[in-house]
Amino acid sequence: MRTLTEDQIAIGTVLPDLVIPLTPTMIISTALATMDFTAVHHDVEGARAQGSKDIFLNILTTMGLVERYVTDWAGPGALIRGINVRLGVPAYAGDTLTFTGTVVGHENGEFTVEVRGEVSLGDHATGTVRFSPPGE
Amino acid sequence: MTVTTDAALHERLMALAERRIAAGEVPGPAAADPVNLPMIRHWTDAMGDANPVYTDPEAAAASPHGGIVAPPAMIQVWTMPGVNRKAGQRPTPVDDVLAMLNDEGGYTGVVATNCEQTYHRYVRPGERLFPATRLTGLAGPKRTALGEGYFVTWNVTWYSGDEAVAEMLFRVLKFRPRKPEGPVGDGNAQDGAGREDTRDRTGENAQDGAGENGRDRTRGRAPYPLRPAINGDTAFFWEGVARGELRIQRCGSCGELRHPPGPMCPSCRSTDRGYVVASGEGEVFSYVVHHNPPVPGRRTPFVVAVVQLPEGVRIVGNVVDCAPSEVGIGMPLRVTYRQMDDELTLPLWAPREA
Amino acid sequence: MSSLSGRTAVAGIGATEFSKQSGRSELRLAAEAVLAALDDAGLTPADVDGMVTYTQDTNQEIAVAREAGIGDLSFFSRVHYGGGAACGTVLHAAMAVATGVAETVVCYRAFNERSGRRFGQPDARIGGEPSSQGLEMSWHVPYGLMTPAAWVAMFARRYMHVYGVTSEDFGRVAVAMRRHAATNPAAWFHRRPITLREHQESKWIVEPLHLLDCCQESDGAVALVVTSAERARHLRRSPAVIKAAAQGSGAGQMMMTSYYRDDMTGLPEMGVVGRRLWEQARLGPADVQTAILYDHFTPFVLTQLEELGFCGRGEARDYVADGGIEIDGRLPVNPHGGQLGEAYIHGMNGIAEAVRQIRGTSVNQVAGVHNVLVTAGTGVPTSGLILSAD
Repeated sequence: MRTLTEDQIAIGTVLPDLVIPLTPTMIISTALATMDFTAVHHDVEGARAQGSKDIFLNILTTMGLVERYVTDWAGPGALIRGINVRLGVPAYAGDTLTFTGTVVGHENGEFTVEVRGEVSLGDHATGTVRFSPPGE
Repeated sequence: MTVTTDAALHERLMALAERRIAAGEVPGPAAADPVNLPMIRHWTDAMGDANPVYTDPEAAAASPHGGIVAPPAMIQVWTMPGVNRKAGQRPTPVDDVLAMLNDEGGYTGVVATNCEQTYHRYVRPGERLFPATRLTGLAGPKRTALGEGYFVTWNVTWYSGDEAVAEMLFRVLKFRPRKPEGPVGDGNAQDGAGREDTRDRTGENAQDGAGENGRDRTRGRAPYPLRPAINGDTAFFWEGVARGELRIQRCGSCGELRHPPGPMCPSCRSTDRGYVVASGEGEVFSYVVHHNPPVPGRRTPFVVAVVQLPEGVRIVGNVVDCAPSEVGIGMPLRVTYRQMDDELTLPLWAPREA
Repeated sequence: MSSLSGRTAVAGIGATEFSKQSGRSELRLAAEAVLAALDDAGLTPADVDGMVTYTQDTNQEIAVAREAGIGDLSFFSRVHYGGGAACGTVLHAAMAVATGVAETVVCYRAFNERSGRRFGQPDARIGGEPSSQGLEMSWHVPYGLMTPAAWVAMFARRYMHVYGVTSEDFGRVAVAMRRHAATNPAAWFHRRPITLREHQESKWIVEPLHLLDCCQESDGAVALVVTSAERARHLRRSPAVIKAAAQGSGAGQMMMTSYYRDDMTGLPEMGVVGRRLWEQARLGPADVQTAILYDHFTPFVLTQLEELGFCGRGEARDYVADGGIEIDGRLPVNPHGGQLGEAYIHGMNGIAEAVRQIRGTSVNQVAGVHNVLVTAGTGVPTSGLILSAD
């Protein structure tokens, strides 16, 4: 797997989309892998009892997927410095989460990528990821 | 649940928050396990994250890290409390502020609005992390799309020994759920927006798009992601589409029609090119109904057809304005133009009476 | 000009395990398969002086050579057009060996096609660049016609319409492949046969293709060692002689979307390959005892049977009926289970199975094998081989 170098990235570079089908397995396996045992992330009845239409993605997973979205593109050697996410509508089981992104900043060897994760209800997560390509 | 007057409650809330903010950082229990490969592997497997620096010792050794590192976004995982979350939990400075909002103010709904993480460095297997939490803000009451509420903000810092390795800002909105219908009974601020409420209300990690100002999110048309590449050989086609013309390349020398177009006539090798405008009629030569996997910018199922034009060439496009089950080979079609975003128009096909 | 026929041989085959998550880098998979193939041949990395792979492979020849401890290379080459490259790598290797450009050439294909980049997923980038391929894709991608299953389904629908073929006819191919894989321990679908009913009830991917019309996606690597037939006779294994090798592209050819030719029911590029193979080998369809037909999607297995002359146009549905391509049928196809059953290694695992059939060492050995036909990717410019016992 290649890692993008500083000269291969420019402000305005558009990241390839990442489409994630939100199967119940995806919702539940990620909730458990992030040690989040809240019922709304694995128990449909429990989720409905709390007013949700179905189980939905937990925030720790949203953060993980945003990170993956950037490193899938930037490559395994990219150093993630920070992730700022504004949380939107829930990402329910059965929906599809589509990430899009654009490089919007470049300063002192650090790039900022604007990321949007969208589901059928609207924006699930919007924000920025800061990363550095590997140094010399 | 006791609902006191809002003004008195607000004063008590702010006083409590002030004390908790002043108390600063409160250490929490150390992670149950040190950073470890099995949990990383479980996490990357579930996330579908194939980055080898997390799990492949050889690839990691060859990377800038020099060895296995944990995914930065896993930072919070290490100190999650587990299934029996009450056991062994220490109170954080946030707990009683949330409790007062919930129990005394009737702000029973909660949605997370922001999660901001900064990673000072990558952590490695063997490091045992512990968290420390400080309350940093309480703002409200504010009217939001979900109802009146307070924004509560706190920070968590994760330490490895004395070294801070990562930080997180987390913000939630604690709100009084709107009554679905009917008169305002309790004097709560109400949001008039009648949009369908598909949001979670009380789940601990629930989230919603309610901004701090409670304004509805509006945005321009999202760019359609499936864009054609266009060059000097094909621009005439897309310019035609933008004007509502279906243009077919016509050789300037021998007159042969051709689609898809190209720079040289395959029949007479002429590079003298023009076009004719097609009648706009056609019929289905072959077609598919796409169900899986999801396609960016498209709702499934959708129909794509190879369309035979009476001019003698074929073109690919979507069949719209009818159910996929109604499409069949030989079906008469007429071209229709759809604006996909502010820039791109596509020629699509609708059923035509034969 | 002297013919290529019979002058070279596949002397070694090697592979990693086939999985959904190798947990290793693609380069490591490539190096492991190359070493396994050399060991199978009784050769060492020091014997290798040539390497060929697919243009789509992410592992440069020099990188694989470095990892495997291969020294000087006098020949390296790549073959284009996705899985259409499979047998083409062997053709390039054979030409290099036959002309003295190299003595021992390794062909390889390695990828994490399941856990890494999946070809089955839409990629909005493929229509983005004004290269000749990007422009070609731009007549299709904007309409969401952008997955291999969809590209193939468009041909399949027309083929069904013209010849009265049904989804069940396609299903019989899947059932045969899964039957074969069920008794192949290396197959992902080992011990997991399917019924025609399960095929029919599997979800739609792109109508008219069900899920079980589509091959799985896999992680893994396969490598082959090509050397002169003469030298191969003195190595560890009995040689699989390269009786014929060919590439083919047709008039009006496109990458998976040749919808603008008069007829949409054939694979003219496979016709080119077939004619070249039969002529070069001086053999015909009746002379092969088993065939490895590229099966990323079921419909093109039927089309190939017709293009290669095993049956007439529109007759493949009858040819595959009643277990015709199963292990005990009139022409056993893909005894290893194919890409539908064993693994999707871009056709390279099929060539390895052909070699095993020639050696008589396959877990699903066909009796009395002397000649095996192998094909590569369908719907794209492609390639083929006829391998023969010495």
